[in-house]
Amino acid sequence: MIRTMNIELKGRIDSGNAPKIEEELLEQLKDNGKEPVILDAAELNYISSAGLRVILRIKKTYTDLSIINVNSDVYETFEMTGFTEMMHIEKAYKVVSIEGCEEVGRGANGTIYRIDKDNVVKVYNNADALEDIQHEREVAKLALILGIPTAISYDVVRVGESYGSVFEFLNAQSFAKIMVNEPDKLDWCVQEFVKMLKIIHSTVVPEGKLPDMKETALKWAQRTSEELPAQAGEKLIRLFEEVPRDNHMIHGDYHTKNLVFQNDEVLLIDMDTLAVGHPVFELGPIYNALQGFSEYDHDVIIDFQGYNYDTATTFWKKFLALYLKTTDEKIIRDVENKARIVGYSRLIRRTLRKGDLTLEKTQKEIALWKERLLELLEVTDTLIFDEPADEINNNELEIEAKAENLNTVLDFVDKKLEAVGCSPRTQMQVDLAVEEIFINIAHYAYAPGIGNAIIRADINDNNSQLKLTFIDRGMPYDPLKREDPDLTLPADERDIGGLGIFMTKKSVDDISYEYRDGCNILVVKKNL
Amino acid sequence: MNIEKILNGTELTIALDGRLDANTADELETEIVNSLEGITGLIIDLDKLEYVSSAGLRVFLLTYKKMVKQGEMKIVNVNEDVMSIFEMTEFTDILDINKKEENK
Repeated sequence: MIRTMNIELKGRIDSGNAPKIEEELLEQLKDNGKEPVILDAAELNYISSAGLRVILRIKKTYTDLSIINVNSDVYETFEMTGFTEMMHIEKAYKVVSIEGCEEVGRGANGTIYRIDKDNVVKVYNNADALEDIQHEREVAKLALILGIPTAISYDVVRVGESYGSVFEFLNAQSFAKIMVNEPDKLDWCVQEFVKMLKIIHSTVVPEGKLPDMKETALKWAQRTSEELPAQAGEKLIRLFEEVPRDNHMIHGDYHTKNLVFQNDEVLLIDMDTLAVGHPVFELGPIYNALQGFSEYDHDVIIDFQGYNYDTATTFWKKFLALYLKTTDEKIIRDVENKARIVGYSRLIRRTLRKGDLTLEKTQKEIALWKERLLELLEVTDTLIFDEPADEINNNELEIEAKAENLNTVLDFVDKKLEAVGCSPRTQMQVDLAVEEIFINIAHYAYAPGIGNAIIRADINDNNSQLKLTFIDRGMPYDPLKREDPDLTLPADERDIGGLGIFMTKKSVDDISYEYRDGCNILVVKKNL
Repeated sequence: MNIEKILNGTELTIALDGRLDANTADELETEIVNSLEGITGLIIDLDKLEYVSSAGLRVFLLTYKKMVKQGEMKIVNVNEDVMSIFEMTEFTDILDINKKEENK
């Protein structure tokens, strides 16, 4: 075992006392051989160039020298003079207590606590976390530059035996908490969850900036394959190997505690697992967070996310349909199977490494995951799937429901009409209907928030009729119930409200409304 | 949408060009509200207006309610398509709206 020499530096070191301090230090070190020397500067307030020269001379003899607990003024001196590059110099960290603090998030490498109204601290599981912290700061910066809304820590502190990084966090609420406290916001959470994931997955990362998730995932497959019959194990590895490399970003630990809503903005946190790769390697861990972890014991998710297993199941189903932009059960099931193969592989390896294998529960969990994995391997021949394009086909447009997007919606519909040809009058009437309905969604459906609208435009086989379908997941609202405005009133008594939907009704040949599966669905038909 | 204003004494002509919809109606409202002081005759020329939605009708109605206290308001040169919207909403019964003269 290496013996370490620990010496305290106190007060001021300047030209007045430097020779004396040097003498004292050399006296204390005289029996020291090649052992590391640590100078504890907790009580050092000032060091002049005379003091710096003392340290340089000591370092010549005792090369493994480091200085710790340096206060920020003294650290600045070390930094300015280049000492921080010559030796290990560690800042004094503010000490923060998390006793009685609310847990607001939990990630793979740490847990986030709120320390006061404006700040949270992420406490790392690993006691020797300075490198992890540095890594996370770097990837968070990279993500921010690449356009991902995230938070970057502004301070590193000591929390008990661990380190923590401090973030400013005003009124932030995790999605998990929103889902517990405001169950009627589930659809909104799903929507934002998907929206953020699309931003992440459409972000191209410069070569070499982030690790390749495929390499990590291959480790899951390799370890898990050892637990399977030879043929199934080989197939598992082959499926993982066949997934093409991908330079798009993935988060790596995407779940409802790592997405927060703060001041009307959705932020992604816990960036230390950021990587590049095919989205199937993201969907696997998402499946685990919502389902896999709690598949054997449904109560696991309550500890982890706060909401129950049924809520998580609903969330997962809605998430996948929205992410894939389809209601086609077969497509959804197919991608779910792929995600589960990735998910179970990770769960099995993780539990074999970190779980308590003497527990009956752990053994039963692994057995269940293994059984399901084997079933899935029977029916799955590739992990690859196509990420849906922004328009699933050119008959459908999904767009943020805001007035500024009106022209995009009109262009989309007008292009359909141009393709079959219609009179300017008809086109104007269709535009009227589109404008009034879309603006209505933009102003009211998600107020005061925002959300998406889906517009489908179908023209029948003999080009005689246009059918427009408007779908939003906002508040249930049937505009057709609105009473028509009284048009017999004189101008000064006329009320302008309700005119828009009245004009829409007058401009089209048929209009109907229904509320289904959390969606307002308005269908308009116009003869061409 | 383009808005052109011609002031002749206390008579103001506002000519609109393009589409008057949810995104352009606010601009028109601001323009009109800021120009009405001392105006006794307002002519809104829709010769080059292609389209108007309820957001635009709202501005016309608001303007009328202001103008009725200080003078007269006329909408002129309305093309057939836009006219169909005024007719549909019976604005033709309450405002002074005049069709575009064909083959002028």
